[in-house]
Amino acid sequence: MRLRLRHDPHSLAGAYALDALGGPAEQDRFARHLSRCPSCEAEVRGFREVATAMAFAVTAEAPAALRPQVLAAAARTRQLPPEVSSHARPQRTRSTLPWIPWLSGAVALASIAVAVFFGLAQSHTQDELNQARAENQALNVVLSAPHVQVLSQVATSGGTAVVVLAAERHALAVVTTGLPALPSGKVYQLWLIGTKKTESAGLLPPAQDGQTPAVLATGVVKGDTLGLTVEPAPGSAQPTTKPIVALPLPV
Amino acid sequence: MNPSDSDASRLESATADRRGERDLDDLLVHVARGDSDAFEAVYDRLVGPVYGVIRRVLRDPSQSEEVTQEVLLEVWRTATRFDPAVGGAATWVMTIAHRRAIDRVRSITASAGREQRTAEVHTPHDEVAEAVEASLDRERVRRCLDGLTEVQRESITLAYYGGYTYRQVADRLKVTLGAIKTRIRDGLIRMRDCLGVS
Repeated sequence: MRLRLRHDPHSLAGAYALDALGGPAEQDRFARHLSRCPSCEAEVRGFREVATAMAFAVTAEAPAALRPQVLAAAARTRQLPPEVSSHARPQRTRSTLPWIPWLSGAVALASIAVAVFFGLAQSHTQDELNQARAENQALNVVLSAPHVQVLSQVATSGGTAVVVLAAERHALAVVTTGLPALPSGKVYQLWLIGTKKTESAGLLPPAQDGQTPAVLATGVVKGDTLGLTVEPAPGSAQPTTKPIVALPLPV
Repeated sequence: MNPSDSDASRLESATADRRGERDLDDLLVHVARGDSDAFEAVYDRLVGPVYGVIRRVLRDPSQSEEVTQEVLLEVWRTATRFDPAVGGAATWVMTIAHRRAIDRVRSITASAGREQRTAEVHTPHDEVAEAVEASLDRERVRRCLDGLTEVQRESITLAYYGGYTYRQVADRLKVTLGAIKTRIRDGLIRMRDCLGVS
């Protein structure tokens, strides 16, 4: 009797977690399977922890010269910006959602979820779909958190920013409604204004029907304030105008 | 962590120390904000296992050093993508480290052929057993590897420490592909339970 296991992608979870799949094509195929299979994902996560223990078990002393080299290289290496809901992606028509400033928390959550869903439903190419999925997963970090706080503030320019904050995950999602349209060459930029420094949290995507799709910001730490400013395109390294929203984050 | 409290500590974590790992998560969140002190601390905590596993896979010291540097720089650069909700910082970093080591192995063997490296791979299990400094991790992993069947143990160590694909492992151990996939997965499930990974 021969058992045919070839078509059960699940059985590859172990090899995948050990980076032992054949090549990029097989890896991609399994990664796609993972994105549809939460139990496989949980299994891979557990296997990766086993692998981590195996790495710690072969701890070795690295050459001392490495430390100053790495630290110096880091000092001159730019970090990736926090993940945002890709403002570069061409916006497609989204379903009209009634987006009103006095949203309750549950409604805000549901609206973000619906916006994410439509992002998925209206992605046409595989690339777009992958990207939308990645964003969806990123937003899930916030939406699936056991404790979230919904905060909002009316912008000094008019319009409202609504924030769903998952404090213990150091992440938040932002949507806005009714912000004034900007002249060309200007963008709305989000900031995490910390006690020591201010970091860009990405640009607001163009509004559809007066509402901007959800943007995710990670790396939120205690003492941060979420800021929104108008900046010259394609955004600034540091804010150059007075924030129209400055919302202290209870982290 | 109190080494005599072995049951509790075994359940606590697969890696070094769950409390330590919590700090690491926080450190990495700070690294994501450009905090270079936090990065130094992360470096000091993880360079040993990062270098160790890369060295184990690659063998060549100067290549290992190079890849270690790449990995740690990638940790700095992409710390903004670290998500504590998905997994711990140590696992995030070790996943990058192992993957980079594997990428390097695949590109070397693609150009130079496999034979040379094959001759050099001893059974890592023995090396783990012979390790002079029997750290807690080492001992725990060794004990859990000992609890596997021989095929499970060999396929996991060949894949993870040896850098072999499961097809190559199947070839070496003269087992079918389907069987190897299953052995690796079953072995990892046993390891996971043995190490007390949640």
